[in-house]
Amino acid sequence: MKFQIEEVTVYFPYDNIYPEQYTYMVELKRALDAKGHCLLEMPTGTGKTIALLSLITSYALAKTESPIKLIYCTRTVHEMEKTLAELKFLHNYQVKHLGAAAKMLAIGLSSRKNLCVNPKVSSAENRDSVDAACRKLTASWVRSMAAENPNQPTCEFYENYDRAAGGAVLPAGVYTLEDLRAFGKEKGWCPYFLARHMVQFANVVVYSYQYLLDPKVAGIISKEMQKESVVVFDEAHNIDNVCIEALSVSVRRQTLEGAIRNISRIENEIDRFKDIDAGRLRAEYNRLVEGLALRGDLSASDAWLANPALPDDILRQAVPGNIRRAEHFLHVLRRLVQYLKVKLDTDKVEKESPVSFVASINSDAGIDQKALKFCYDRLHSLLMTLEITDTDEFLHIQTICDFATLVGTYARGFSIIIEPFDERMPLIPDPVLQVSSLSLSLSLSLSLSLSLSPLCMLCLCCHDASLAIKPVFDRFQSVVITSGTLSPIDLYPRLLNFHPVVSRSFKMSLTRDCICPMVLTRGSDQLPVSTKFDMRSDPGVVRNYGKLLVEMVSIVPDGIVCFFVSYSYMDGIINSWNESGILKDIMQHKLVFIETQDVVETTLALDNYRRACDCGRGAVFFSVARGKVAEGIDFDRHYGRLVIMFGVPFQYTESKILRARLEYLRDTFQIKEGDFLTFDALIDVMNIELTDRNLNQRQAAQCVGRVIRSKADYGMMIFADKRYSRHDKRSKLPGWILSHLRDANLNLSTDMALHIAREFLRKMAQPYEKTGSTTGRKTLLSQEDVEKLGNNGAQEMLY
Amino acid sequence: MSSGQVTKRVKYKTSVKDAGTPGRLSLVKERLLFRPNNPNSASKLDMQFKYITNHRYTKEGSNKAPMLNLTSNQACRALAPPVEAPNLGASSQVPSEQPSRDDLLFRARLLQDSSELQKLHQQFVGGGVLTEAEFWATRKKLLEKDSNTKSKQRGGLKSSVLGESKPLIDGRTNRVTFNLTPEIVREIFSEKPAVHRAYLNFVPSKVTEKDFWTKYFRAEYLQRSKNIAAAIAEAAEDEELAIFLKPDDILANETRRKIRRVDPTLDMEADQGDDYSHLPDHGILRDGSKEVPEPGNELYRRTLLQDLNRHAAVVLQGTPIDEEQLKDTQTVAEALERSKQERSTASKDDDSMADQERLKGISQAMTIDDLRGSNDHHLAPLWIKDPRDYFDSQQASSFRTSMEATKGSMSSQEAYGLLRESISQIKSMGLNHPIVAPEVAQKVLSVLTHNISSTKYNLGKKPGESLLDSLPTSVRDELLHHHISIEELMKHFWSSYPITTKYLNTKVIKLKDEMSKMDSQLQKLKETVQPDIRHQITLLIRPMQQALEAAMQHYDAEQQKRASKAREKPNGYS
Repeated sequence: MKFQIEEVTVYFPYDNIYPEQYTYMVELKRALDAKGHCLLEMPTGTGKTIALLSLITSYALAKTESPIKLIYCTRTVHEMEKTLAELKFLHNYQVKHLGAAAKMLAIGLSSRKNLCVNPKVSSAENRDSVDAACRKLTASWVRSMAAENPNQPTCEFYENYDRAAGGAVLPAGVYTLEDLRAFGKEKGWCPYFLARHMVQFANVVVYSYQYLLDPKVAGIISKEMQKESVVVFDEAHNIDNVCIEALSVSVRRQTLEGAIRNISRIENEIDRFKDIDAGRLRAEYNRLVEGLALRGDLSASDAWLANPALPDDILRQAVPGNIRRAEHFLHVLRRLVQYLKVKLDTDKVEKESPVSFVASINSDAGIDQKALKFCYDRLHSLLMTLEITDTDEFLHIQTICDFATLVGTYARGFSIIIEPFDERMPLIPDPVLQVSSLSLSLSLSLSLSLSLSPLCMLCLCCHDASLAIKPVFDRFQSVVITSGTLSPIDLYPRLLNFHPVVSRSFKMSLTRDCICPMVLTRGSDQLPVSTKFDMRSDPGVVRNYGKLLVEMVSIVPDGIVCFFVSYSYMDGIINSWNESGILKDIMQHKLVFIETQDVVETTLALDNYRRACDCGRGAVFFSVARGKVAEGIDFDRHYGRLVIMFGVPFQYTESKILRARLEYLRDTFQIKEGDFLTFDALIDVMNIELTDRNLNQRQAAQCVGRVIRSKADYGMMIFADKRYSRHDKRSKLPGWILSHLRDANLNLSTDMALHIAREFLRKMAQPYEKTGSTTGRKTLLSQEDVEKLGNNGAQEMLY
Repeated sequence: MSSGQVTKRVKYKTSVKDAGTPGRLSLVKERLLFRPNNPNSASKLDMQFKYITNHRYTKEGSNKAPMLNLTSNQACRALAPPVEAPNLGASSQVPSEQPSRDDLLFRARLLQDSSELQKLHQQFVGGGVLTEAEFWATRKKLLEKDSNTKSKQRGGLKSSVLGESKPLIDGRTNRVTFNLTPEIVREIFSEKPAVHRAYLNFVPSKVTEKDFWTKYFRAEYLQRSKNIAAAIAEAAEDEELAIFLKPDDILANETRRKIRRVDPTLDMEADQGDDYSHLPDHGILRDGSKEVPEPGNELYRRTLLQDLNRHAAVVLQGTPIDEEQLKDTQTVAEALERSKQERSTASKDDDSMADQERLKGISQAMTIDDLRGSNDHHLAPLWIKDPRDYFDSQQASSFRTSMEATKGSMSSQEAYGLLRESISQIKSMGLNHPIVAPEVAQKVLSVLTHNISSTKYNLGKKPGESLLDSLPTSVRDELLHHHISIEELMKHFWSSYPITTKYLNTKVIKLKDEMSKMDSQLQKLKETVQPDIRHQITLLIRPMQQALEAAMQHYDAEQQKRASKAREKPNGYS
């Protein structure tokens, strides 16, 4: 359909539109008009993405005099693919109705691992080895060597791309990663470098958060984005964590050991070079004296991960004299590693500010702040000079240098936490202990790690999410932060330190009661069920959970998803179900797929799960509440007619890190507000919000909240633990679930839940009035309705 | 049609005036053959098409006898007028086309597939009530070739894990027994290609079949007992055993291949490949990533979870070999190997096709259904091979429970027994004061009356209960068969009205006879069944009888009308 929002003609690829989508677009358009940032919350299942895409592309079409570029950030690659698929659908529609004028170039960008088409390179196992394998074939010195020596292997795709030079362009269209690969294969051009090149010219770029937020990646990818861009962060409820992680480094003993190995190897290389080509090291030294950390004309294929510090904070000066010579620099690194090693040899938790840490490095190891700051650039320059291509081997020393640079650069907003932990112990202290008392769990893990040989981790934690995102807010015209759950919506501007011009939260109006949450407290034998520590291994509870699933698989069609509180618990319960024959009963009705710690296997299991749901055989997927699947995969439509949450999931709250962060926030707010009373109340809110957000959104909302794709979709959720019947636990569930949780469904046993499920499924199978006109409020708008709305002004919307 | 030939009964004439020789003309791919009915007759013809220079045919619609006039350069004129069918005029409605051999074969297969259809066919076609053509004319749908391809449904693999069946452990002799059937072997081979390969390589050239399986189960047993140290020790000693314990390299290759073609909207491996802020040691380590498996022993680590995933994947992929091939291990292994090769060559061809399909599926899944105006879903038709089997099995299980619940009251048999007992008591002891013990009388009376009345009132009240399921199977089958035959008769009967041709008339008469026969059969059935279910039977039979009666009445009315018409117009209808 085609309609007007003020002066912009919006092309929307469906015949109908939800009223929520319409108001969402209206608000978004205001933000774009004002050239400001905005914050929009709209529940999942209302078609946020398509509304966003169609408004922004239509806006760009309407304002041809100042073309805007859309930079769409997703959390993961599979979300990127989804977005591109929707964009393709939209683009086809626009081209059909507008002709060639609507043509645009949209590309998704990912790492070499996902884009490489060179069979020799892409068969490498992980990302780092693919990157290194690529460098081995494409680094500038390798290529110049190949010019002389024909036996030197190079990458034909890169060579072809390089030869085509300016001629290597993508025709207009929407390119997913697969499309890029196919195009690259057909033309014989390297898709990765082509995509990176085309990013500057594309109308729409879809990539992951990190490509904009993490200075290491953003420095090489997103440097040249124009100011007239609209940046969208989708599913942004975790954006503060991404920002924080982008600037955090943790160092473990293995890292240090690896770093020492790296240093010796570099030493050998230096010796070798001294023998054969001493002039080169000399040239590097001269360059550094002139103040150029790197040669100015780095070819794209040489680019490494960029400086971990934010661009504004990087000093544009000459590298200090004490680390200019390669040998001296290595000595400094050696001392640094030694110092960290001593630091790690502790058995108690320590917290330090970067300032005092730098001071103690200076006094103990004799490395000043400025030298620390330049560590990264110096290392980069050295590795380039030594023409090292197997960069995946040098990750450890790189980590150390990142750490040094960050610690030398930032005095505020960071802290260094040294905490002992044991890798052989699964680091999930029992949730109960953790919740009842944080200090108790701490002492427990301490005592455990004392008894086993202690291993320490040193973590440089960033506490200020606004640091990493600040350049984005400063640089781009509009930044849109949107998600299904952003409440409380006024917290985000504070956390990220920005001023939105529009900040709104939308509610979803449902045509019918299409979600059915239930709280199950008792099993079929009327005994309580729970994953509480003292009950979870009780065979009765295990059996009751199993019986619940057996009953449910026999009545629920298609897909069922089960979430457990942890891997170890899931493993245990599946084994005991296998032994008691419950698993066999489940398999009578549905196939069983399980999330494991192996990402490849999990991906295949998910793929097969979808296939089984598609072909009608039906399947159950066992997953873990904190796992990767729970965080990112949708179980909408027939892929998840029922979600069962076995037990109450508790996040390992990263207690020390989180607490340090809260303290920091309190301090900064104190400086800002000055008023102690308001601050205290605020911090209380913050405190609860932060911990609760960890509890709610990442778990319940993430696990359960992705069942609904549209208003026509439906799904049930069962929270199987007696603790959910308590108000304080339940109230942490997202509001839209709570609003559908009827009092009658709060305290069910298996047989009652079964009855309710049957009734619900029967009700959902009935045909219904899609526009919702029977209930008085329209939940679906047709072309006519939208035109009427446009005339009356959007103020008279249904809210 | 390459193998097909067309045969017609014709008369062969060498000239127009000739009386002709009756015989059969058959057309095969290249030639025209004529064989006279009388083998001694000299007028045979065997002519290749390429010699025919000219042919003429009687004009359609002309009242002359149809005739084909062939001219050949061998100077021989062959005239072959088809024999006039005896009922040519009347049979315009008769589905008279000669079925091809393919059709016949196909029909035979249909009959074979469905015992129900076979019975009907035997009863009516065999009994001469319907002709073959009539019988099939009402089943055009079944004969469509599309449904033919769809109907190739094979039983899938069972969902449950067979190989996981527990070994029998004999505590006394400390012996563990595993049971192995071809089905389990098939499962093992298709889930663990390395075992399959090892079997093909080693058995029987290197080790005997028995040794092979002993080793296999020994490895499994070690695996299951989670005694990794022992497994390593054993594997070090025995390299064949090590094969079973090591991770499957064929599987690993397959995984690598599959992961490239996984649905990109859920590809978490790609996520991992793009995640630069989790460079080793960057970012804040979160608990999920920290459960590192024990180093070193990874080689021998295989978990139940992996097995379950693998099993489900194989089940989903479907069985590559048929039930008939499940004879012994050797055949299973070979059949599996063959089908694997076929699949690998086939998959290379349709790889790109599948990719296209998949991408289309993704974009379709991305759309929001209820926002689209019209939905043009392409739904796959539900195909259940034997619907009655499917639905009955569910019904029966729920019914069984309700039957058990009602078993509490006494059956009429028992009540009768009580009565007899008291009668024999009377016989032996004579009459004493209460002639019949009041409690006995009470029981007998209540049970008997209850039996009669209850069926009347309770029938159809309970949702899970069905009248049919409460009957003995033989009676039920008979009833169902009668029902189906009556349905068939009715279908033919009503479709022949209005009667316009003689042919239909005779058909209706035949049908009527059959119907009355059926009616009497029903009556007989009603009388022969046991008295305690007679009421139910009557209820079930009544609608059938009503249908028959309605048809009879209609027939009679028509007959009368026709008779009166005939009287008015004596020359009306021949």
